[in-house]
Amino acid sequence: MTRAIEWLKRLFHRDSAWQEEIESHLAMRADWHRQRGAAPNAARTRAARDFGSPLRALEAVRAVHRAPWLDALAQDARHGLRVIRRSPAFSLAAVATLAVGIGASTAVFSVVDLLLFRSLPYPRAERLVSVGFSGPIDTNEFNVGNAYLDWRDHQRVFAAMTSMYPAGECDLGASPALRVPCVQVESNFLATLGIVPAAGRDFHPLDDRPGAPKVALLSYTMWQSRFGGDPGAVGKTISLDDAPVRVIGFLPRSFEMPQLGEADVLFAEQLDEGVARAPRSTVFLRTFARLKDGVGADTARQQMLPLFQDSVRRYVPPQLQREVGLVVRSLRDRQIHDVKLASWLLFGAVLALVALACANVANLMLARAASRRKELAMRAALGAGRGRLARQMFTESLLLSLAGGTAGCVFAWGLLRAVVAMAPQALPRLPQARIDARVLLFALAVSFAAAIATGLLPAWERLSSAALAGWHSAGDGRSWSRPVLVATQVAISLVLLTGASLLVRSLWKLESESLGFQPRRVVAAAFTLNRHRYNSAAKQDAFYAEVERHLASIPGVSRFALSDTIPPSGGMRGRPFSNMRIAGHPPLPEQGGMVAFRYVTPGYFRTLGIPILAGRDFDEKERSGTATPLILSESLAQRMFPAENPVGQQIDLDVSGHWQPVVGVASDVKNSGLTDAPQPEYYRLRTNRSNELGLSGVALLETPLDAGALERWVRRQMADIDPALPVTIETIEAKVDRLSERPRFLAVLIALFAAFGLLLAAIGLYGVLSFLVAQRTREIGVRIALGATPGQIARMAVRQAAAWTLAGMAAGWAGSAALARLARGALFQVSPFDPLSLAAAALVLATATAIAAWRPARRAARVDPAVSLREE
Amino acid sequence: MKNTDRLFGSLELLILKTLAAGPNHGFGITLHVETVSKGLLHMEEGSLYPALHRLERERLISGEWRQTDNGRRARIYALTAAGRKRLAENEASWSSVSLGIERVLRFA
Repeated sequence: MTRAIEWLKRLFHRDSAWQEEIESHLAMRADWHRQRGAAPNAARTRAARDFGSPLRALEAVRAVHRAPWLDALAQDARHGLRVIRRSPAFSLAAVATLAVGIGASTAVFSVVDLLLFRSLPYPRAERLVSVGFSGPIDTNEFNVGNAYLDWRDHQRVFAAMTSMYPAGECDLGASPALRVPCVQVESNFLATLGIVPAAGRDFHPLDDRPGAPKVALLSYTMWQSRFGGDPGAVGKTISLDDAPVRVIGFLPRSFEMPQLGEADVLFAEQLDEGVARAPRSTVFLRTFARLKDGVGADTARQQMLPLFQDSVRRYVPPQLQREVGLVVRSLRDRQIHDVKLASWLLFGAVLALVALACANVANLMLARAASRRKELAMRAALGAGRGRLARQMFTESLLLSLAGGTAGCVFAWGLLRAVVAMAPQALPRLPQARIDARVLLFALAVSFAAAIATGLLPAWERLSSAALAGWHSAGDGRSWSRPVLVATQVAISLVLLTGASLLVRSLWKLESESLGFQPRRVVAAAFTLNRHRYNSAAKQDAFYAEVERHLASIPGVSRFALSDTIPPSGGMRGRPFSNMRIAGHPPLPEQGGMVAFRYVTPGYFRTLGIPILAGRDFDEKERSGTATPLILSESLAQRMFPAENPVGQQIDLDVSGHWQPVVGVASDVKNSGLTDAPQPEYYRLRTNRSNELGLSGVALLETPLDAGALERWVRRQMADIDPALPVTIETIEAKVDRLSERPRFLAVLIALFAAFGLLLAAIGLYGVLSFLVAQRTREIGVRIALGATPGQIARMAVRQAAAWTLAGMAAGWAGSAALARLARGALFQVSPFDPLSLAAAALVLATATAIAAWRPARRAARVDPAVSLREE
Repeated sequence: MKNTDRLFGSLELLILKTLAAGPNHGFGITLHVETVSKGLLHMEEGSLYPALHRLERERLISGEWRQTDNGRRARIYALTAAGRKRLAENEASWSSVSLGIERVLRFA
């Protein structure tokens, strides 16, 4: 900006310097005349006469400094502006149409660019991969200590491999401590990513040895907020989890964890190889690697297979061996794995919208060609070359496109804000989306593309036809381009509408999908205890007892329950199915995957509204007894007891010899999202005498009152028990609502774009038909004079519209069918060929085109032969 | 002198030749040409400046704002190395052209 001002200043300064030069010449000439005896006034006059027009001289000097192409451009632009001003309605329509197309595409680009195109903040980021096992436990690949160390030692495809523990938390500072995200990483973690600390040093292999003094790197945010960005803070000691830790450095501002997790503190991993290498290692890691040059991710996967298979044989329990796979994929794929399709769908939809907008504007320009043919013929006659005329038309469409692009950027800014406000969590990095230079460049590129698309076709059409030769205005020689444009618009519009109706139908199915429980006015308060302060079962038990005592007594709480996890957001514990035994039955089959379980108090089923299908609920009295009753989920009961009554059976859960009675069967619930099939699961009763809940817990409170008021109560009560404990409070409805956030986001946006598209297509059809009717007024007048009825005339116009629309719809269906395979992954229980959605889209389109054709057809039918024949 | 600038770039040649005698401003160049040609050549002052700017753009001369002896601010132009070379070329070609014209005129 300041550069532009500087440039303008110099430009003006330059001009005034030229002026001064001429004035100085005049003054010297006047001096010269005076020295030869002229009076001062006469001297000045003579000097001026000698010189000639100073203005013309100045203009000539300016011309020296001006590039010739700039002159022609300015001339074209001036002419273009005049043309645009002369037909404000046309220009406004064109600019508005382009603004919608360019604006929507720019807004969407600003979002998907972060996901699909912009390079990740690491040097040569395309060489970075995520490596690990895929398995039923986690949606992302993970690794196990023993396998990772084997792979690291024997692999030959990676330049480096590194690992981190799954994200954790720690307490920073003394009381009141701040709970911050902490991650333990291997000493070569940053080096593998190619990141150098902004201050201080990276981890050293010595820091990574078990028992080495604890050192940490802090995030840029921490550096700024805690130390004011002082580089001298390196070497200071801070308190983390009540232990002194030396800060060895700070991370750069742009640093991002490769799995996009939060990290304010990085610790050395200090992996104990002896522990990690144990055959039954429980060290779970996330592992990343940098590919060697010339090795692709697929090749790397192929070459890692033998090592992987060896690890599976040696370390994975036999009953799970069939369920694990090897994953080597780019870091970008790891980050966006579940939104890649959604991003491409959105991007594709807006590009289609841009195409529609361009077709519309091209159509408008063509319609105007008729009225401007005389002007162009005149210019051609006066010697303007064909290239010059084409350039001039292109300048016009460029001006319109740039105006549309500018308005579009404003529209994009608004749309982006609305989108982010609507669903900030719908896509990763969505809140980071900005209209920055790169995005503006995209808008500019789209504007240029639009200028070419909208300017080239009319230019070609106008200049190639006999237009330049003829003055006569009757007859257009039936141009093909306009009907083709309309049919194209109808086709694109149908594809968009089909996509939107499929997504809406899929969303509708998703939202009406039963979760297996019906919470009403239930608030969940989730928390995780600090493992250093609650380091014994007794302390944890005391805490949970306090929670029950405080929360259950809040006035207005009608039901209360405590669990370790709750549906529908996953995170449950699980055990292999094959580890279970049934008393008096043969062993269960080896395969069978994992069975999830959770500890609950007796109010759990009633609070969440999970029906007990057989047997009974847990009883409060049992909590102090010695029995350890179980409740099975419906699908688990089906699987274990296909032909018997499960209630009353005895089950040993993990080959421990401890037999537990099944007292009831509960309805299945969806534990990990709406789209997944229910997992088999069992419930254990949380008794009064153990730390079965562990460090994480969720309190459930049902209230007939306002959930917001209850939330404040819960916060106060929890603060009474432990003021330093962070608690997340949310209604279950909000939790469930969030599950369909992404499909809803996608459906709403695509439906919005489809609506825009439909509007544009309808306007396009209306415009073309109106134009043709106006152009054929004479012909229609003759027909009516010869006895055609208004009905016949209207039918003639409508038949034409119907032909174009049907051609477009046929193409649109073909297009939808071709794209159907791609969209399948975004649909839930809806086939991409779902007849209902296809029919709905076609119906909407047909209705819109019928409305668009109605007025021009009526106008045609009302032509007065007397008037129209006299016209020319 | 109406057509001198079109005729073989004679305006350019006169400017370069004048500046070869030493740096000068636009008015000085006009005066020099008038004086030396003893009033035969009279420069059109309005077309002098576009020519000067064109020469400066071609880096044949370089201009600089300075104070003149009688206290006026003026833009003083000086010949560059490239300008000196161009002058030599143009002088040569001018001589041959004028010789050629003279021969043609004498022939009849």
